[in-house]
Amino acid sequence: MVNALPLPPKQPENDQNVLTSQTPSPAPVTTKEQTQPPPKPDEVAIPDKIKKQPKVAERTEPTPPKHIQPTPPPPTKAQTGETSGVRIPEATTQLKNGTASVSVTDRTFGARFAYYIRIVNTRTAQNWYTGEADPRTSNGKSVTIVFDIDRNGEPSNARVEVPSGSPTLDQSALRAVQRVDTFGPLPAGDHITVEYTFNLKLP
Amino acid sequence: MNSQENKYSIQRGRFYLGVFLLIFLATIPIHAQDWFKTETSSGAPNIRIAAADFKQLSPDPHAAELKRTFDTTLYSDLANAGIFDLVSKSLQPQTTPGAPSEINLSQWSAAPASAAMVAFGAFNIQGSNVVVNGYLFDAKNTQYPQVLAKQYTEAVSDDAPRQIAHRFADEIIFRLGGGLPGIAETKIYYVKQSGGTKDIWAMDYDGANQHPITHLGSISISPRISPDNSRLAFSSLGKYGFEIRVYSMLLGRMVSFPNSGGTNLSPAWSPDGNQIAYSSSRTGDPEIWIADANGSLARRITSFRGPDVSPVFNPKTGDQIAWISGRTGLPQLYIMGADGSNVTRLTDGGYVSSPSWSPDGHFVAFAWNRKYGPGAPGGQDIYVMEIATKRWIQVTHGMGQCDFPSWSPDGRHIVFANTPDGRQAHMRIWTMLADGTQMHPITGSGADMPNWSWK
Repeated sequence: MVNALPLPPKQPENDQNVLTSQTPSPAPVTTKEQTQPPPKPDEVAIPDKIKKQPKVAERTEPTPPKHIQPTPPPPTKAQTGETSGVRIPEATTQLKNGTASVSVTDRTFGARFAYYIRIVNTRTAQNWYTGEADPRTSNGKSVTIVFDIDRNGEPSNARVEVPSGSPTLDQSALRAVQRVDTFGPLPAGDHITVEYTFNLKLP
Repeated sequence: MNSQENKYSIQRGRFYLGVFLLIFLATIPIHAQDWFKTETSSGAPNIRIAAADFKQLSPDPHAAELKRTFDTTLYSDLANAGIFDLVSKSLQPQTTPGAPSEINLSQWSAAPASAAMVAFGAFNIQGSNVVVNGYLFDAKNTQYPQVLAKQYTEAVSDDAPRQIAHRFADEIIFRLGGGLPGIAETKIYYVKQSGGTKDIWAMDYDGANQHPITHLGSISISPRISPDNSRLAFSSLGKYGFEIRVYSMLLGRMVSFPNSGGTNLSPAWSPDGNQIAYSSSRTGDPEIWIADANGSLARRITSFRGPDVSPVFNPKTGDQIAWISGRTGLPQLYIMGADGSNVTRLTDGGYVSSPSWSPDGHFVAFAWNRKYGPGAPGGQDIYVMEIATKRWIQVTHGMGQCDFPSWSPDGRHIVFANTPDGRQAHMRIWTMLADGTQMHPITGSGADMPNWSWK
C-alpha cells in the first residue's frame, strides 16, 4: 500500500560526500616534519672573489749616478825640498762668548795630533775674557792671532794677524794667548805656528 | 727591487741620524752653560773621555781582584781630575779591548758613549810582576788615533794596581790637561787625633792608604811638606812649648831644628826649599820669622803689636808672603814682600785664618768668618781671593765650620777640614774642585789640618 503512494523514489546515498554521508570521514594523515641536517662544511662551496689585476705602470730603474773621484790638482810646487805650509781648518768650537777656530801651518801635525790642537783651542778659549774688550765692539767681529808654540808647549811671539778693527778686542785676544803658561809639551816636533781666530758673540 | 728599496730607506735613515747628531752636537754647549763655574775654568767644554775596563790576560782569580782595583782607581782618578766629562760605565760598549788591534773606535765614538778619548789596555801578571799596557786613543781621529801608549811594571802587591792606575791617570791628565800635571800620585799630610795626642799622618790624594808618619805621642800640628817632598816641618808641643820640628822623609827620623823659646807655630816652606817662615813669640809678641831650612839665621820680618801667624810663600815667585795679622783687632789677611816690605791688607773685616796660596800665585784660599761674634749669623767658610783684584768668592756654604784649606799642586783642587757641629772631635778632611763642586769627604772624623804635597 505504501508503495502505491506516488512518492519520489528513494535516492541512493552518496557515501563519498561528507555532507551526505553518515559515516565520518577519515582524518588526514599528518606526517611529522623532519629537520634537515646542516650541510657539511665542505658541501657548500664559497664562491671565489673575483680578482682583478691592478694595472702597474712600467717603472724604469734609475741608474745610480757615477761619482768619479776627482783627482786633486797636481801641486804647483816641486815635491822635493821645502814646501809652503798648508793650512787646514780645525773644528770650530762654540764658546759662551763666541766661537774660536784654530789652524796650524803644519798639515801633518794637525792631522796626526788633532787632540793637541783641541787642547790649544780649549786652553786659549778659557783664558779669553771678552769683558776686556770695549763694550761698544759690535757683535760678530773677529780677530786672528798668530803665535808659536815651542817644544815645552809655551806660547810665544803672539801677534795680531788680521785685526778686528776694535783695538780692545785685539788686545783681549792677544792677552788670552799671553795668559796661557803652557799647553803641555808638544807631542812631536820643535815648534808649531798656530793661527787662532776669535769670533766675538755678545750675549 | 725590494732590496733596492731597503737600501734607499737605510740611507735615508742614516741621513736623518746624521742630521739629528748635528743638531744634538750643536746644542751641547748651550746646555753646558746652564750651571755656574768660576771664570778660570769656563769658556769651553770638557773633553769627554771613556775609561774602558782593562782586559785581563792571566786567568788568576787574584789577578781579577787586582784588575778590579785598577779599573775603579783609574776611573775615579780621571773623574777627580775635574777636566773631563767621564763616560759612565753603563754607557760603554761591553767589549774590553786589550790592544790597539782589538778596539773598534766607532763603537766608542758613537752614541751613547760619544767619547772623544778612550783609555784602555791589558792587565797581566807575569811571574811576580804586574804588567799593564795602557793606551789612550783619540776616538774621533780615525787616521791617527793613538795619543799615548805606556807599559807599567810593578811587583805584585795590593797597592801595585792603585799606583799603576795613578801613574797612568797622571800621564793622561798631563797630555790632555794643557800642561798641568795630574795629582793622582800626590799625598796629603794631616793631623790625626787619637785620645789626647795628635800625630802627623799621610794618605794618598783620594783618602786611601792612611798611615802615620810621626810617633811623638804629643800634640803635633800644622804639617807642611817641603817642595822636594823630602822633609816635613810641623809644630810640636815639647819641653819648652810649641817648637818647630822637622822630620826627614828620606831618613825616616827627626832632624834637628834649633829651639828658640816662645811659641813657634805654622811653618811654611819657600818654593826653593831653602827657607822656612814661621810664627815665633820669642820676643813676647808673635811675629813672622824666616830661618834657613836647617833653622839657622832666623830673622824677624814683622814688627807690630798684635799676633802675626800662618805665613805662606807665594809658590810661583817666592818673594811674597801672605799671612794673618791681628794688628788692627780681629785677625785679617795681609800680604807683604818676603823682606817685610809693602804690607797690604786684603780682607776688610770678620775673622780670617789659615791662608793657602795657589800654585800659580794668582789666588789665596783662606777660612773666613765674615760675621764674627756671639750671636752673629753665618759661620766659618772657605773663600778664594784673587790677589790682583782683591775680589773673592765663597766656596763652601752652610756645612758647618770649615778651616785649613790647602791647594793641590795643579791648582784645581782644595782640601780642607770641616766639622759640621763645631766640635773638634768631629773634624774630618774634605776635598773639592777649586770652584766648590765635586765636594766629598776623604777621611773619617779625627783628621785635621791637611796639607797637600807639592807633587
